[in-house]
Amino acid sequence: MGSTEEQAAKAIYKFYDALEDLLRSRGTGGMKEIWHHGDYVTTAHPFGDWARGWTEVAANWEEGAAVFATYKGHDARTDTIGGIHELKVAVMGDAAYGTGVYKSRLYMSDGPIDLRVNCTNIVHRIDGTWKLVHHHADQAPPDWQAAIGRMVQAGHS
Amino acid sequence: MPFAEFSPAEVGSSAGGFRWASAGQGVLRITVWGYWHEDVVRAFAAEAPAALGKLAPSGTLVLDASALKPQGADAQEALRLLFRGLVPHASVKAMVIARNALTRMQLARLLRECGVDQRVEFGDNTSTTEGV
Repeated sequence: MGSTEEQAAKAIYKFYDALEDLLRSRGTGGMKEIWHHGDYVTTAHPFGDWARGWTEVAANWEEGAAVFATYKGHDARTDTIGGIHELKVAVMGDAAYGTGVYKSRLYMSDGPIDLRVNCTNIVHRIDGTWKLVHHHADQAPPDWQAAIGRMVQAGHS
Repeated sequence: MPFAEFSPAEVGSSAGGFRWASAGQGVLRITVWGYWHEDVVRAFAAEAPAALGKLAPSGTLVLDASALKPQGADAQEALRLLFRGLVPHASVKAMVIARNALTRMQLARLLRECGVDQRVEFGDNTSTTEGV
């Protein structure tokens, strides 16, 4: 079963697995599963403002999936788009937070674009299961945001 | 006056809503904000076609979404109603103001899906349209 820190870390890694699924058009099922669906959950992304409460948080992830439905750069690749690095977790009772660095590489038609953002995630143990209740990532640099915006407007990567 | 019969109206709350207003001759300005719940979605879907119908053939539609959050499926459909309403108005100019990057991407996607993306100019500053 592992230590409490390991269990909390596992929940955070599951979140990034769900994010990889979302980015690769494999659905938002994993994302819905790892999040607590409460009014107090919050999230902010590399290209967004705060979403507060599960309804808004879910809308953000659904739109993220819609945005990346146009991304085809990984269709023939086996490497992951991104992942969390240097994850450090601290547990306090039924809550834990993890800090790390999310690194990703997208292959666009005019070349690869890299992202490196600091992230904080908070998980809450509810009825014995660790659920994500907060996610925050730094804002992406304007060039990265612009490249994603162009992809959405063009309808392809 | 193209909007002589048009009364500015506000629907919703500080958490989410919209307001229609004429901002000068031939300009229909729609300010939208927050996250829309069911009642706001219903009201927007009901009012959007009628409001567009009052726009002069060579008028300008300004959608000020600078404080709008990414929306759920029902609100997206209501926004599609507005965007689809632009299709028969080939001479109408349209401008969308969006600061939240994810909101901007959502609106860009909806415009593309409605086939009017090429006719809509994007901006990120409300002041750029104050004189419109």
